[in-house]
Amino acid sequence: MFKAKTMTAACAAATLTMALAATTVLAETPSWCGPNQASLALLDGFGGNSWRLVTTASGAEEAAKCPSITQYEYADGQGDTQKAISDINSMAARGIKAMVVFGDAGPAVLPALTNAHRAGTIVVPYRVNVGGTEGENYAKFIGSSFVEDGVSWGNWIKEVLPEGGNVLFLSGPAGNSQGVDELAGMKQVLDDKYVFINPEPFAVTNWDPSLTQQVLSAEIAKNDKIDVIVSDFGPSLVGALPVFAEFGRSIPALATSDGNSLSCFWEQNKDANPDFKLFTVATGNDNVRLAVQWAVALATGGTPPTDEIFKAPVFENSVSGTPNPVTCRPDLPGSIYLSAEMADDAQAKAVGQ
Amino acid sequence: MAQHTQTAGKASLDLDLRSFKPTRGFVTVVVSTLALLLVCVIFAPSAVSAGGLAGSLPFAAIIAIVGLGQMLVVQQGGFDLSLAGGVSLAVVITTHLSGGDDAQLFGAIGLAFVCAVVAGLVNGILVGVLRLNAIVATIGMNALLYGAVFAVSGGVPRITTPLMAEIAGGKIMGIPHSVLFALAIMLIVSFVLKKTVVGRRFEAIGANPAAAHAAGLNVRLYQAMAYVFAQLHYCVAGILISGITREPTAFQGDSLLLPSVAVVVLAGTSLLGGRGFPISTVIAAFFLNQLSQFALAVGVPFSAQTIIQALALVFGIGVYSLRWKQAATKRALKSKTEETDNV
Repeated sequence: MFKAKTMTAACAAATLTMALAATTVLAETPSWCGPNQASLALLDGFGGNSWRLVTTASGAEEAAKCPSITQYEYADGQGDTQKAISDINSMAARGIKAMVVFGDAGPAVLPALTNAHRAGTIVVPYRVNVGGTEGENYAKFIGSSFVEDGVSWGNWIKEVLPEGGNVLFLSGPAGNSQGVDELAGMKQVLDDKYVFINPEPFAVTNWDPSLTQQVLSAEIAKNDKIDVIVSDFGPSLVGALPVFAEFGRSIPALATSDGNSLSCFWEQNKDANPDFKLFTVATGNDNVRLAVQWAVALATGGTPPTDEIFKAPVFENSVSGTPNPVTCRPDLPGSIYLSAEMADDAQAKAVGQ
Repeated sequence: MAQHTQTAGKASLDLDLRSFKPTRGFVTVVVSTLALLLVCVIFAPSAVSAGGLAGSLPFAAIIAIVGLGQMLVVQQGGFDLSLAGGVSLAVVITTHLSGGDDAQLFGAIGLAFVCAVVAGLVNGILVGVLRLNAIVATIGMNALLYGAVFAVSGGVPRITTPLMAEIAGGKIMGIPHSVLFALAIMLIVSFVLKKTVVGRRFEAIGANPAAAHAAGLNVRLYQAMAYVFAQLHYCVAGILISGITREPTAFQGDSLLLPSVAVVVLAGTSLLGGRGFPISTVIAAFFLNQLSQFALAVGVPFSAQTIIQALALVFGIGVYSLRWKQAATKRALKSKTEETDNV
């Protein structure tokens, strides 16, 4: 705890000032923003990629909508579980009223969250399941429905391949719960006509573009017929998909999550690849907004939102064009997410381009 | 060690003859590779199909290049753990500072090389001149390099420029450019190590620094330069990765450290220092990469690949440890006979 005091200096350096976002809103106070003044902290387990940068900026933007939030802090665990725990302790020791936590380390951060909760802080973990129970270990967990994503992909696959076919499913590190949930969602919709040709439960890519490239080239060489690829991190496929050209084959249909680089890749390659259809769900940066709304509502005495789980909406569909056709913005960086609520150029700024 | 010194001392006399005689390490690696290819043809033909190879060879080339860099350090009895940081820094400098603009690419590449030389010099001075433990010094350097990686990139991946994608990812007559780069680097390293005075001295110093010092060689300089040239190899590998992978992460070097040591050991370079085997190192890189591809093609989970690489490393060390034992017994017997003869 005493060590935590020294951490505050580091955290202060990372503090995003309210001034940035204050210019964007202030028009009207949302219902989740109550009258009581409170301080809010956003705690990230790992902040070092473009998705996290956009997410962090989205969290700050959402918090800025509520004038009752007088202080906003941010801390980045840098992928180090010890630092993430120390950050949580530090914020609790400083008397921060509410904290929104991306608990990358899972249940490892639960004891720290529980301590903060018992000390009277409003603790709202989101997206990654940290174990524990609501009311006992933290105030509210705002999950993301990865099963729902799987169902959306499954339904689209049935549309484009009504006769069934071979499905290649790629996800992140071995055994990650996101991939397992997504598979469960797809299995709800897809029957035996659809054969998963990857090793059970999914081909492991660690969400690393370079590994994805190696895994995909091995799978393409192995399987003469791949009808659809499913991936939960679309932009990581951009480097790997040209491998199909090496084999003289068309890129198949792709069900995944969105990203500007992926949309632009589709735009450039759709003519040369007749089978290349694209379907994306929103990549879920806005999950943090729902968590911030809950934390602020509980801390300031506002009305909590009705949603308790973030459901990523379907974003692009190259076949039907609904809800959106595939949208490429070549003037903006590839590493932004057009599905996010945050304005495109604000995202570009958030990722430093 | 004694054997190495002898060989190095006689180098000028029988250089030509010896360079055509395959070493035991070379034979082991080639036989293992051919056996693996045979197994692939039978059990996982897709791993050796033209398309499969085209997809995987660029990554073998990267392992080969970092392996050659690591080999130089290992030849001096050291270890370079700053490889991961060196490769990652080259990747982010090439992708971020060029900002997707071909016109700025060569400036960025130039800067990457400057950083590599600086990092190598610091490593070299710490280990070669100030005699710090190589593992400790290079771990520290790795942390510094990652600091630079974050400073340049903020941890954010960025898309490479079209020119870089063409340079690293293009093909001449079906052969990926990256493979040609690896082969060219291998030829240069082989030539310098085996055919030039500098290279012969480098190997002699690695084999026995004390003897080399007694012979009047500048041991510290050579040991320091091993780290500089190693960093240059990592830099080239990083630049190539930035072209091969369209949107490389900022931590691309992490997964290369273990393979780099594995290929050096598999190629027969002693971890105690001494002779280096550039050609065997490159073949070992192909072997290791093909092993991963085989594992993927028969459906072993990707997570098992690190284990496979580790097993290959153990296998390599095992093979050469056994050889040493035999050689030592033989030498001991021989010297005994000589002693008796003299009496």
